[in-house]
Amino acid sequence: MKKRIGVYICQCGSNISDYVDVEKVNEIVAREQAVALSKITMFACADSAQNEIIEDIEKQKLDAIVVASCSPKLHLFTFRNVAQRAGLNPYNYIQVNLREQCSWAHSDNPPKATEKAIKLVMAGIERAKYSQALAPISIPSVNSVVVVGAGIGGMRAAIELADMGSEVFLLEREYFVGGRSSQWNELFTTNETGREVISRLYKTIMEYNNITLFTGAEIESKSGSVGNFDIKVKIKPRHVKPDCKLDWDKFKKAVEVCPVEFDDPFNFGLTKQKAIYKNFPSEFPEIPAIDVEHCTKCMKCSDICSDIDLNQKEEVLNLNAGSILLTTGASPYEPKEGEFGYKKIDNVITLQQLKRLIELRPDVLTYHNKKIQNVAFIYCVGSRQVDGENRYCSRYCCTSAIHTAIMLKENYKKINNFHFTRGVRTYGKQEILYNKSSKQGDIFFQSFDDSPTEVISVNGQTIVKIKDILTTDKELEVVADLVVLVTGMVPRQNNSINKILKVPIGRDKFYNEIHPKLRPVETVIDGVLIAGSCQAPLNITESVKSALSASSKVNSLISKGEIELEPTLAEIDDESCTWCDKCQSVCPYNAIDIKEEEGKSIAVIIESNCKGCGICLPVCPSNSIQLIGYSDVEIESMIDVLAC
Amino acid sequence: MTQPNKFDALIIGGGIAGEESALNLANMDYKVIIVEKDLSIGGKMIHLSKVFPTLDCGACITTPKVSETARHPNISIYTNSEIQDIEKLGENNFTATLLEKPRYVTEDCTGCQICEEKCPVIVEDQYQWNLVGRKAVYVPFSIANPRIAAIDIENCSLCGLCEKVCPANAIDFSQEEKRSNINVNSVIIATGYNLFDPLKIPRYGFGKFKNVVTAMQMERQLVPTRPYNNVLRPKDGKMPDNIAYVLCTGSRDETVGNPICSQVCCMYSIKQAQLLLGALPMADVTIYYLHIRAFGKGFCEFFQQAKGMDVEFIKGKVGLIKEKENGNLILRYEDIQKGKVLEAEHDLVVLSTGILPNTDYSSMFKNINIEQDDFSYVHQVDELCCPAKTSIDGVFVAGTSSGPMDIPDSILSAGAASSETAGYLKGGIR
Amino acid sequence: MEEVITAPKILVFSTEKISDPAIDLAGLLKKHYPPTVYTINIPCSSAVKSRWVLHAFEAGFDGVFIAADGTDCAYSETCTERTGELVKKTHELMKDRNIDPIRLKMAAICSVCSEPFVKHMKNFVAALSN
Repeated sequence: MKKRIGVYICQCGSNISDYVDVEKVNEIVAREQAVALSKITMFACADSAQNEIIEDIEKQKLDAIVVASCSPKLHLFTFRNVAQRAGLNPYNYIQVNLREQCSWAHSDNPPKATEKAIKLVMAGIERAKYSQALAPISIPSVNSVVVVGAGIGGMRAAIELADMGSEVFLLEREYFVGGRSSQWNELFTTNETGREVISRLYKTIMEYNNITLFTGAEIESKSGSVGNFDIKVKIKPRHVKPDCKLDWDKFKKAVEVCPVEFDDPFNFGLTKQKAIYKNFPSEFPEIPAIDVEHCTKCMKCSDICSDIDLNQKEEVLNLNAGSILLTTGASPYEPKEGEFGYKKIDNVITLQQLKRLIELRPDVLTYHNKKIQNVAFIYCVGSRQVDGENRYCSRYCCTSAIHTAIMLKENYKKINNFHFTRGVRTYGKQEILYNKSSKQGDIFFQSFDDSPTEVISVNGQTIVKIKDILTTDKELEVVADLVVLVTGMVPRQNNSINKILKVPIGRDKFYNEIHPKLRPVETVIDGVLIAGSCQAPLNITESVKSALSASSKVNSLISKGEIELEPTLAEIDDESCTWCDKCQSVCPYNAIDIKEEEGKSIAVIIESNCKGCGICLPVCPSNSIQLIGYSDVEIESMIDVLAC
Repeated sequence: MTQPNKFDALIIGGGIAGEESALNLANMDYKVIIVEKDLSIGGKMIHLSKVFPTLDCGACITTPKVSETARHPNISIYTNSEIQDIEKLGENNFTATLLEKPRYVTEDCTGCQICEEKCPVIVEDQYQWNLVGRKAVYVPFSIANPRIAAIDIENCSLCGLCEKVCPANAIDFSQEEKRSNINVNSVIIATGYNLFDPLKIPRYGFGKFKNVVTAMQMERQLVPTRPYNNVLRPKDGKMPDNIAYVLCTGSRDETVGNPICSQVCCMYSIKQAQLLLGALPMADVTIYYLHIRAFGKGFCEFFQQAKGMDVEFIKGKVGLIKEKENGNLILRYEDIQKGKVLEAEHDLVVLSTGILPNTDYSSMFKNINIEQDDFSYVHQVDELCCPAKTSIDGVFVAGTSSGPMDIPDSILSAGAASSETAGYLKGGIR
Repeated sequence: MEEVITAPKILVFSTEKISDPAIDLAGLLKKHYPPTVYTINIPCSSAVKSRWVLHAFEAGFDGVFIAADGTDCAYSETCTERTGELVKKTHELMKDRNIDPIRLKMAAICSVCSEPFVKHMKNFVAALSN
């Protein structure tokens, strides 16, 4: 039992002290017998305060400390470190959450918040009394990482991780690498096309011995944990012999004879594709693929081209990795039928379709055989929805639409661009593009949330109507040859991987990081990191920045050969245990074994496997299992204090 | 043995981007030196109140990173110091001149501030954006790191009182500038940004009308360590109840030479408006804007939240600010929605000043040129694939040195810089 | 004491990675719930022992709420089932002791379910007040 506890009550500037009477809390807890010292501090996390705590621990010979401040998710490690620097075991530190779960939650009722704060701190003191000195468990880690998604972020992360010396397994669900970037031609920050960037990265990747790329690959299952994940990967057959020297003329003929035809996802349905395909000549890996989902195995292609092998089977690989980095990207929002006339009015397409259309029609811009002159861009489709699900701004679309409008004018004659906006968000240097489009004669309108732009069809004409706040709320109409829905980003659909990995999803349905500023690429699942647009809408540069950020975090996690883990494990009371196998049957980690001792069978915890979840605790009929840090005496003494 | 003047990476600037880069590299076991020209590390972020869109306090996020940086065994920090020049001798081989300026206070200082009490000289406190005064000997600010006093020698009267009262005998007037050479394998530029000086737009009356303040001055009035412990207008100490924000002050404005958007002013103004409504529940806050750039994760919802709290948003550019005798201000603005030029009276006006490049980096490189972009930020030569790469191999850029950015973006950019630096140090095949 | 009627006291077992962040988020967004709600966090909701719940009632809590991991649990896919079983077992033990089963409640709270958490707390307090 600890008898000389130091208690620090943080004002958190005013975040706590505005609602909780910290003086009163301090006065009451100071009376506790086990409390050797209690203090109020402006910012417990500030360096000066940390040094003061260290000095107190040393001079006052404190045997445990309690800091009542913010959520332990933010500063548990900060203060454990303080304890350690003062020579106190870090597990003799207890954090009490006075901010998120008291002062802020009850800012409407300061007296009650103060009452609650007192009890919370007292409970923290109880816990500190029973706290044990623990040593962290060190587990070995393999210096290898599985990067999921070979879009620009994943490819870039793979290269950086390989540079830093890790073994990289790069998985791509599609048959070709590049993700969304390979679908875009000109990009708005450089003169390089998306395709050129991807080619450059692919060629770099091929030079590395420590990057292995798998296409058509999806994670099927995961076991193990940080430092040592066992990942089972399912690889779809490509049906083209690997490393073959493909005869391209024969391939072209094979495409011709393929009887299967479906909407081409690469061109967002603007064209049809065959089951045997390659989206564009410089696509990588170089050899084409046969889409297993659509192929009928009619053998017509393999009759022409001997490099086609329709007997290839699905393969399953086992990978061992210390960490998993998700760079699974995002999808464009798919408008609902009838949303701004989509799929109801003939000449309504999405921005992504327009970008593909520009490439498919290099000379004259036509759609459904009609020449295009007046183009109406409708912004915020699928973003900033007032009634719909997507309340968020998709960040990249304003600039992308404006950039595309500039390209239209540069590539074709007599184009008139009309932008139906909800306020243009060309942040930072992207402002220059907005200036440029205004100078080239593009016309911008704006409406507010409450009066959305309308697209209607009257006598074969497509009319876009807006109540334009830039011209004193006048109702304006434009007859458009092409209506372009500037669609936002949504998380990737059919995200089967998250059924396996279970990364928390935020309110926007994108993956959620632990904290946007403190730990922006880490998730609550140890060893699983996220980067790029699977986390939030981002443009290419922003995705790459986050992917590179994640690379350095992954490297510092797994490259040292071992990872320190929390020593919160289950403990078996040998005396009362009479082996019944119930704990073993519920343990998700195979962390419980049976041993013979003094003539009886008892359970034993395998420390490297135990994750300290405590699932075994309630099933034990003889209450022979305690979880370190959450033992009966700790929990029950806290309950006693909170209840009184 | 490691040599004391040899490091794997030199990080110029100890703000949030410099710290994040340093920590990442140090955690990968690289030896890092941070050179910060200010008296404390922490950059601009350490001076902020709560930060958008999560509204957790800036200090709560900066200070742990600051402490972690300060005590990391692989990181050496030089505050009040500058890099005078950098020469590239070859790959993984740079030499730099480090100038340590005298603080006139030794590391024995405990930050007790007894000297401050006795010092007879009062000047404007730059860390409170001149809202209040400080002494010539002073601890920079309460959460400074290191929390050691310094003597502002230009304003010091050399009376010697501080020397007499210091219990730690830490005052040392004999300190001199010290120059030394350091050898480093790589460089990260994390020199951050400057704020636009609103004196350059005389029609807004900043400097002439006392109740026209900058957003940074308002920020200081909203932090827990604030000077007046309340929000007051400077002219008469009255609590304001009708506050205006003028967005795009010095941004998106060709006439002041800054055509780009500063990326943060909309959001910090919306944040301040929410905090003001918390501090002064009866006050009205009006934001004059051109476009609200609420683009990041959670930003749009944060903007909606402000509207829900009845912050008024008027789409229009403020043309002129006039002062009334009682110190109130008349804003003449073009109300775009109404299509008219209108006037409105407010008792406090906050200018949401924009971000400008800090071009200090450009003169440091001696035998090799560092390219700038069109706006004088560090040019990113391969922005799409290697966003931290500059025109010099082995020199990387982190945070707002390459353009306006908010805090999450700066942190990610710093992460990218540390990753690319580590790749360079390992001698990756590119 | 002037105040005679006090709100029912509730003990919440939250989980460190899933439901506790949601409760933090409620605070962050200043979504208020009764201040007589106290939280003890544990790694996983399947770890709650019946004796802790019974102890809470004995000590004076009016209600116990298990903010379960549900399907988000990072430890086990069987978490929902496990937590359900321990609640069922505890309800039986409560019956033996003449404790109204309404006083122990469980619901899955995801890591961003701040709104549902606040609603649960308000409803639970209302139910216990009757």
